[in-house]
Amino acid sequence: MSAGTDARRTVESLLRRLVALSGVERLLISLAALVLAILVGAGIILTSGRVATCTQAAAVYFGLGFCYDPLEVYFVLFNGAFGQPFNPGIMAGNLVNPTWSPFTGPLTFTGPLLTTALFTAGWNPLNFSVALTLKETTLLIFTGLSVAVAFRAGLFNIGTQGQLVVGGLVTALVVGSLVPVLPGGLAGALLLVPVGVLSGAVAGGLYAAIPGALKAYADANEVITTIMLNFIAAQLAFVAVSEFFRNPESQVVETAPLPGYATLSSVVFPQGSDFSLFALAFALVLVGVIWFFLERTSYGYDLRTSGIQPEAAEYGGVDAKRTVVTSMMFSGALGGIGGAVWVLMVMGKWQTGVPALGFDGITVSILAGNNPLGTIPAALLFGTLKSGSLAVQFETGVPKQLVGVLRGLIILFVAMPEFFRAIGTNVVDLDADDSKAVATDGGVTGGDDE
Amino acid sequence: MSTQNTLTGLLERDWSYRETLVGGAVGIFVTIAVLGLLLPESLWADLFGIITERSTLSSALRLSVPIVFAALGGIFAEKVGVINIGLEGLLIVSAFVAILVPAILGPTETTLFIPNLWVGFAAGILASVLFSGLFAVVCIRYKADQIIAGLAVWLIALGLAPFAATVYYGGVNTENLGTSLPTWTIPVLSEIPLFGAFFSATPAVYAMLLAVPASWFVLNRTSFGNHVRASGENPRALDTVGVNVSRVRYASVLLSGFLTGIGGAALSLGLGQFIGNNQTMVNGKGFIAIVAYLFGNYNPIGAFGASFLFAGLEAVQIRLQQVPGYAIPDSLIQTIPYVTVIVVLALVGRTRIPEAAGEHYESGDD
Amino acid sequence: MTTAVHLDEITKRFPGVVANDDVDLTVERGTVHALLGENGAGKTTLMNVLYGLYRPTEGRVVIEGEERQFSSPRDAIDAGVGMIHQHFMLVDPMTVTENIVLGNEPRKWFGLAVDREGARRDVRELSDRYGFDVDPEATIEDVSVGVQQRVEILKALYRGADILILDEPTAVLTPQEVDDLFRVFEELTDQGKTIIFITHKLGEALHAADDVTVLRDGKNVGSVTTADTSREELAELMVGREVFLQTEKAPSDPGDVVLSTDGLTAEDNRGIEAVSNVSFDVREGEVFGIAGVDGNGQAELIEAITGLRKPTTGTVTYLGEDITDAPRADRIDAGMAYVPEDRHERGLVMEFDLVQNGILGSQHRAPFAERGNIDWNTARNHAEDIIREYDVRPPNADADAVSLSGGNQQKFIVGREFERNPDLVVATHPTRGVDIGSTEFIHDRLLELRDEGKAVLLVSSKLDEVQGLSDRLAVMHDGEFMDVVDPQDVTEEEIGLLMAGEHPDDAASAAEADAIADGRGEGTSGSRAASDVPSDGGER
Repeated sequence: MSAGTDARRTVESLLRRLVALSGVERLLISLAALVLAILVGAGIILTSGRVATCTQAAAVYFGLGFCYDPLEVYFVLFNGAFGQPFNPGIMAGNLVNPTWSPFTGPLTFTGPLLTTALFTAGWNPLNFSVALTLKETTLLIFTGLSVAVAFRAGLFNIGTQGQLVVGGLVTALVVGSLVPVLPGGLAGALLLVPVGVLSGAVAGGLYAAIPGALKAYADANEVITTIMLNFIAAQLAFVAVSEFFRNPESQVVETAPLPGYATLSSVVFPQGSDFSLFALAFALVLVGVIWFFLERTSYGYDLRTSGIQPEAAEYGGVDAKRTVVTSMMFSGALGGIGGAVWVLMVMGKWQTGVPALGFDGITVSILAGNNPLGTIPAALLFGTLKSGSLAVQFETGVPKQLVGVLRGLIILFVAMPEFFRAIGTNVVDLDADDSKAVATDGGVTGGDDE
Repeated sequence: MSTQNTLTGLLERDWSYRETLVGGAVGIFVTIAVLGLLLPESLWADLFGIITERSTLSSALRLSVPIVFAALGGIFAEKVGVINIGLEGLLIVSAFVAILVPAILGPTETTLFIPNLWVGFAAGILASVLFSGLFAVVCIRYKADQIIAGLAVWLIALGLAPFAATVYYGGVNTENLGTSLPTWTIPVLSEIPLFGAFFSATPAVYAMLLAVPASWFVLNRTSFGNHVRASGENPRALDTVGVNVSRVRYASVLLSGFLTGIGGAALSLGLGQFIGNNQTMVNGKGFIAIVAYLFGNYNPIGAFGASFLFAGLEAVQIRLQQVPGYAIPDSLIQTIPYVTVIVVLALVGRTRIPEAAGEHYESGDD
Repeated sequence: MTTAVHLDEITKRFPGVVANDDVDLTVERGTVHALLGENGAGKTTLMNVLYGLYRPTEGRVVIEGEERQFSSPRDAIDAGVGMIHQHFMLVDPMTVTENIVLGNEPRKWFGLAVDREGARRDVRELSDRYGFDVDPEATIEDVSVGVQQRVEILKALYRGADILILDEPTAVLTPQEVDDLFRVFEELTDQGKTIIFITHKLGEALHAADDVTVLRDGKNVGSVTTADTSREELAELMVGREVFLQTEKAPSDPGDVVLSTDGLTAEDNRGIEAVSNVSFDVREGEVFGIAGVDGNGQAELIEAITGLRKPTTGTVTYLGEDITDAPRADRIDAGMAYVPEDRHERGLVMEFDLVQNGILGSQHRAPFAERGNIDWNTARNHAEDIIREYDVRPPNADADAVSLSGGNQQKFIVGREFERNPDLVVATHPTRGVDIGSTEFIHDRLLELRDEGKAVLLVSSKLDEVQGLSDRLAVMHDGEFMDVVDPQDVTEEEIGLLMAGEHPDDAASAAEADAIADGRGEGTSGSRAASDVPSDGGER
C-alpha cells in the first residue's frame, strides 16, 4: 500500500470524525448552503440581466452581454452594507478576461486590482451604512432567537412576524400613554424603555399563546395557525391604529411619535441612523441568557426533550401540553421584544407596513441550526444582505427583492443536508465504516430484537 | 324506518366536528334567511339579499378556483406522503408566469394558432410543475424536511415573482394584459335564476367543477390512487409488493404542481394582471387551501365544499363593502376568513393525517 | 419430492457485521420448514435475501432448480416467492381487498379504473379455496391480528406465490390462533405450497414443521427432520451450550401494600376499552408479574399506573395516596421507577448522549439540579456509574443513545431506573433484546431490589421470565386479569389457556387463587425449588 493512500486514509478518517460531530456538520452545511444560494443567485442575476433592458452591458461573459454583473452585485452588496470599505474602483473593469471560455486557452487576469488601491481612503467604521447593517442585525437576532427557541421545543413558529407586529404596537401604545405621566429626560428613558420592551414581550407572548394553546389542547397545526395569525395581526393592528390610535397629523396610518428620550437613541453611530448600541448589547446578552437557559437549566432540558422526542419528555415527567404553551409564549415574547425594539429604536412610533423581520427570523434560525449562538453570525449575514440590497438597487439596478430570493434559496438548501452529504461522500468516502441502518434481525443499531 | 326514528337517530348520533361545522354553517344561513325575511331593512335582510344574489354566487365560484385547485394539489401531495406547504408559492409562480408569457409574446396574438392567453395559461401550469418538481427532488431524493422545504418554495416564489416583475416591468405589479379569461355562457341553462351562475362562467370554473370529481375518481377508483394512498400510509407495504414508492411520490407531487398551477394561472388571468406587493395577489390562498383539504378530510369533494365556503365568505365580504351604511372597516372584514380558518382548525384539529406523511422512505438494500 | 428452494453458500455482510456466513438451506416442495434460532442469529436476513430485499454478498439462490438473481421483491414475487413480515405490510385504512390486490389491481374501462367487483370476487374465491374466513370488504384496522396475518398470506397467494416465507408468525398470536395458523399451513402444503417460517420457539418448530434448520451467529449449525430430533438436540444447536433458564431466588417476604389499583379501566389510543376493571395489590418485597400475549391491555394498564395514560374509571393508590390523577412528575418524585416498553420512543431521547439521558426524569431533582440549574458534572458521573455497573457498551458517556445497540440501550435504561432508589419498580420487558449474560444480571438485580424490600411490578411476554421471577402472577387477556396464580404451582399449559381467555375451570384452584390475589398467606410460595420452574427451553 502506497504512502499516498495511507495519507488519504488519514485525511478521510479525520474528516469523517470531524463531520461526525453534528455541530461541525451543521456549520459546514450552513456554509455550503450559503455558497450554493449565492451561486444560484448569480445565475438568477445573469438570467434577469439578459431580460432587463439597459443602454450598456454591465458585464460580458462568454461573449454575451448582461445588464447585471453578479460579481459586481455581490461586491456592491457587501461594500454597500459597510459603507464602502473597499475602493469601488477595483470593480470598474472585469476581474478576468470577459471573453474567456474554457475553450479559448488560459485564463488571463485583466483586473485593475493591481493598479487601484484596495481600500477606500479615510473609511470610518462608524458610518451610516454600518449602522444600518447593525440595526438589521440587532432586530434579526431577536426574531431569529424567537424562531430558534420554538424550534428547539419542536414547534415551528412562523408567527414571529405577527407577534412582532402586536408586540410593537403594544409597546408604542403603552409608552405613548405613559409619556405624559412620567418625568422626561434620563429618568424617563430609564423607566420607559424597559417598560416598553417588557410590554412588547408580554403582548408578543400572549399573542403566541393562542397558537400554543390551540396546538396543545386542540391539536391544531401551529404552522397553519401562526400563518393565519400573521394575517390577522396585520389587519387588526391596522384597524386599531387607523380607527383608534391614529396620529391625526399624519397621512400614514401610524401612532403619534414618541418623544426622543423615550426611545433608544444612537450611541457612537451618527444621529438619525436608527441604530443603538444598547439594543445590540441587549440582543447579545439575550443570546447568552437563552443559550444558558437551553443548555444548563432544568426547564431548558424539558423544552429540548419535548422538542426532539415528546413521548420521552412525557415519560421523563414533562407536562407536554404546558411545555408547548410556555415555549410558544417564550418564543412569542422574543418576537414581541423584536417589535418593541423596532418601535423604540427604529421608528419612534408604530407604523403600518411592518417589515418582514419575522420571516427573516425563520431564515436566521434555520441557518443558525437553531442554536442561539449561531443566530449572531446568521443575523449579521442577513443584516448585511438587507442593508446592502439598497445599494445594489441604487447602484446596479438589480431589484432589492433579490434578497428575498436568496432568503428562500438558503432555507431550501439548508433543508437538504443529504444533498451536501452526497457531494461530500463523493469527494471523501465518509460512509466507509458508518454502519448504515439496515434491517437485519439482529445487530441492528437501536433495533428491537424481539 | 319511521321519520321519528330518523329524527331521534340524528339527535342521538355522535356528531363529528365536521358535521357540527357543516350543521353550524347551515344553521347560520338559515338564521340569516329567517331574520332577513322577518326584518326587512335590517343588516340581516341585506346579508340575505347578498347571499342569494346571483353575482355573489358567481364571484364565490370564481374566488374558489385557486383555493380548490391548490387544495386538490395539496391532497395529492399529502396523500402520497409529502406535505406540500409550498402551495402558496406554486400559486404565486404560476400566477406570475401566466401573465408574463403572454405579455412577452403579445397578449392578443397567437402562437402556433393558439391564443397567447392560453399559451400563458399553459406556461403558468408548467412553471408550477417545474417548481413542484424541484420541491419533489429536494424532499424525496435529498430527504429535506418537508415543512422547511415547502416554506422555502413559498419564500422563493414570494421573492422571485416581484423580483422578476421589477426586472421586466420596473415595478412589482405587472401591466394589465388588456385581456382576461373569457366567460363561456351556456344558453338556456344560464337563464336559471341564481344557479344560472354555474353555466355562465370562465373556463377555469368549469375546469374546477370537472377537476373535483375527477380527482376523487383518480384517488379512489384507479390503481394509481391506491398506490398514492398506500404510499402515504405505509410505503413499505407498497414497496414490498413491487411498486416503486419514489416514482409514485414524484408523480403525485408533480400532479400537485399541475393542479395548483391551474389555480394560479386562473387567478391572475381572470384579472389580466399580476399584483406583487406585500403577500402578492395570492394573499394566503395557498394556506387557506391547506385548511380546506384538512377540513374536507383529504376528500376532494369535501375540500371543494370547504373552499367554496371560504370563497363564499370572501364574496359576501366584498359585496358587503359595496353596500353603503355599514361602517365596518374593510380590514376587519378581511380577517373573517383567517379567523374562520383558525376556528375551524381548532375544532377539526384532530384530523387523521396520512400515517407516513412527512417521513422519508428508503427502500431496502444498498 | 423435488426441491423448491435451495440457498447455496449464502453470505451477507453489512458494514461491520456478517449477518449470514456461508449458509446452505434446502427446502422440499410441499413441506413446512422451520428456520430456528435465537434473536440475531441471521434468520430474517437470510429470508430477506430469498425475498429479494437484500442481495447476497456471495452465494446463489436456486428456486425450483433454476438459479435466480433478485434485485427487488418484485423479482422474487415473479419467481413465486411470497413473504409475510413480522410487522405486517398492510395499509391500515384500506380494505382487505385493496390490500391484497395492491400493485396488481385488476383493471376495467381500458385500464382506467380498478375493477373492484372483480377484485372482491377473486379475493373471496381465494379465501374460500384455502378455508380462510376473511371479509374482503372489512377495513384492516378493524380486523384482528390473526385476520391481518391471513390477509398477508392471501396477498402472497394472490400474487401466485408457491413458496411462502413467514417471519415469526406466532409472535403476535394467542395459542389458539397459533393452532389455527398451523392448520392453515397444513391446508396450504396439501395444495402443494411450500412454507418456510422463522421462529425462535423450538416447541413450535417441532410441532409444526417437517424439517428444521437451525441458525446460530449467522451460520447453519444443522438441518434436521423433526421426526428424527429431540427438544434437547434443537436447544443445544440453538444456543450452543447448556440451556440455562433457572433463576435462583430466596422466598419472598411481602410487607405493606405499595401499589394498588381498584376497578381500573382504561382506553387505548383509538378510544376502545383496553383495560377492564383491574384490581390488584403489589407489596413491599415481592415481584408481581403480569403475563399475557402482547396487546391484551398490559401496555395501557402500566401507562395508567405510571401516569402516561388517564384511566376512564377506577383508582390507583400508591404508598397510601390516591394518585389516579397525579401528573407523571409527581409519581417519579414519589419513587416510582419505570422501565418502559418502548425504549426508542419513551425510554431514551435518541439524539441525546448518555449524560443527558441519565437524568431523564430527574432533571428537576437533586443532586442533578439545584434551583433549576443542572449540574452536568454530577450527571456525567451518574451516567458513567450506570455504564460501568450495567456493562453498557461502548463505555462512552458522550455517545448518543441512537448509536448504541438495542440491548445496550436497554441496559442503560434499566440501570437508570433501578438506581433511582425507588419504592416501586415497574419493569416492562426489562430484558428485551438483551444478551444472555446481561439478562441474568438484570434478573439478579431485580430480585435484589425485591429482597431489599422494594415492590416490583413485572410485565413480560417471555413466559419463563415472568414465571421464574414472580412471586404472584396475573394472566391478562382482553383487558382483564383472568386469574392471579402462584407461578410455581401452575403449568405452562394452564397459563397458556388463561392467556387465551379460558379458565381451567377448577373451583378449588380459583378459591386458592383468590387468596393469593389478596397477597396473604402465600408468602412462602417462593420456597419451592426454583429448578422446578417449567421453562420454554427445558424438557418436561
